[in-house]
Amino acid sequence: MIKYFANVFNNSRAIVQGHWITLKYMFKPAVTIHYPDEKLVPFEKFRGALLFDQQVCISCNLCVKACPSNCIQLENAKNETGKKIAKVEWYSIDFGKCNFCRLCEEACPTKPKSVWHSLDYEVIFVKRDEMVRCWKKDFPFVGKYFDRKTQDFMDAEGQVSIHDVQPRRS
Amino acid sequence: MSNALMQTHDASTMAGLKTDQLFINLGPQHPSTHGVLRIGLTIEGEVIVKAVPDIGYLHRGTEKLSEVRNYHHCVVLTDRWDYVSAMPNNLVFCLAAEKLAGVKTTPRADALRVIMCEMNRIASHLLFFGTYGIDLGAYTPFLYAFREREMVLDLFEMLCGARLTYNYIRLGGVMVDASPEWLKRTSEFLEYFKPRLDEYDTLLTYNPIFMARTKGIGIVSAAEAKDWALSGPNLRGSGVNYDVRKFAPYSGYENYDFEVPLGKDGSCWDRYFCRVSEMRQSVRIVSQAIAKLPEGPFQASGFAKVPKPIAGESYANVEASRGDLGIYLASDGGISPYRMHVHAPSFINLAMLQDKLVGMKVSDVIALLGSIDIVLGEVDR
Repeated sequence: MIKYFANVFNNSRAIVQGHWITLKYMFKPAVTIHYPDEKLVPFEKFRGALLFDQQVCISCNLCVKACPSNCIQLENAKNETGKKIAKVEWYSIDFGKCNFCRLCEEACPTKPKSVWHSLDYEVIFVKRDEMVRCWKKDFPFVGKYFDRKTQDFMDAEGQVSIHDVQPRRS
Repeated sequence: MSNALMQTHDASTMAGLKTDQLFINLGPQHPSTHGVLRIGLTIEGEVIVKAVPDIGYLHRGTEKLSEVRNYHHCVVLTDRWDYVSAMPNNLVFCLAAEKLAGVKTTPRADALRVIMCEMNRIASHLLFFGTYGIDLGAYTPFLYAFREREMVLDLFEMLCGARLTYNYIRLGGVMVDASPEWLKRTSEFLEYFKPRLDEYDTLLTYNPIFMARTKGIGIVSAAEAKDWALSGPNLRGSGVNYDVRKFAPYSGYENYDFEVPLGKDGSCWDRYFCRVSEMRQSVRIVSQAIAKLPEGPFQASGFAKVPKPIAGESYANVEASRGDLGIYLASDGGISPYRMHVHAPSFINLAMLQDKLVGMKVSDVIALLGSIDIVLGEVDR
């Protein structure tokens, strides 16, 4: 009988102790954030979606060799006489394959980097074609994708950029 | 008539009664299996008579993939084995590759590696602590554990840019040097974290309901643990004092003062308690490492962009969060490994389920499975 009541006492005490810890934190500010309304700004080194700048790129192929999953492809631009120049004709990143490992950014020799991880963590794709982003000469800065149905480069309409943080670049 | 009924409930006749055997699929989508693990359970009433763990749902073939990638690329693959504690995975591959290439790291790189691995151990054991509580019906500790785990992941994000697949430890060193601000924030976190461990003890460790569910359940004796080649907290929970950090120190673990927590009888509670105690030791190691962090370069010089080790083989093992993680590398002199084999602790620890579950009650399956703390990414690789 004593054992029974001791058991009841011990269990109730444990429940009270547990609630006491909860009570201590009840009046402190919450550590969670309400995501779509508030947003965390990632740290400066955060590895978000890759961005590319075709003005700076010298088309040296180092990022292609550095990528462990072959997600980057590029082609050299050529001048009138058909000789290769240090500019890209087109550059494409397959986000379906990207590992977010920063090996391409580290390999990039230009200053500022021509391929780098932005702080964008809200990368949304609605079609598989959209995952392959292509940067083409005289195209706008944000990547276009090649639509297999229409055989043309299209604007990525599925990607909703709801988060406007300045991309890190060094 | 009532007499006849009474007789069937008599203890002597109950022994001869046999119920039909029933086959249950536990998983692969069971929330308590921590991944995609299927256990085929044959039960008789409430007692398990046969258990067959079925793995392979998360096989990605990283061992084969490494044969067509160079050594820098392979570090990226290692992140994907034990995804809740990826730092030791990075480390063990780098140690094996450095042995093969004959490169020595710098003292600062070694210290940073130790800090990151121990911080990752804290993050990994916090995940275990939280989910084990959920497995046994205690939801509150999970919220507290994740509050602290988030802080560790924030520190990782601040230093290397990723929260789960770090790719931080590189051949010959680490990715980036730790800034003084990062070290300060880490010390602050450690100060914040120490009293939290006492709260965890109140919330879960010494909770009578939790102890009743785990003490004396799933006892693995020391001899059994050795026979099954268990490692990590599962082995030490049975009272076997084996820790790679003590017995074959790597990355300068011999310079740090820490203890190896041991369990007594190898029950689920002992394995759990080993992990909680290990978090305290990790805090000790990290604070020591920060206090005597040597100056100097964080990356060894003279490491080729695309390393081409001479033909040969090497083996390196580390004490990862889940046990003794080993890598066997064979090189034929090319830019990519000829063969890589992973000695994954989760895979070996999981194997004891088929023997250990027999004779247990169905309600204790999750208690045992949770206490082994497997990560299916490492089991299937």
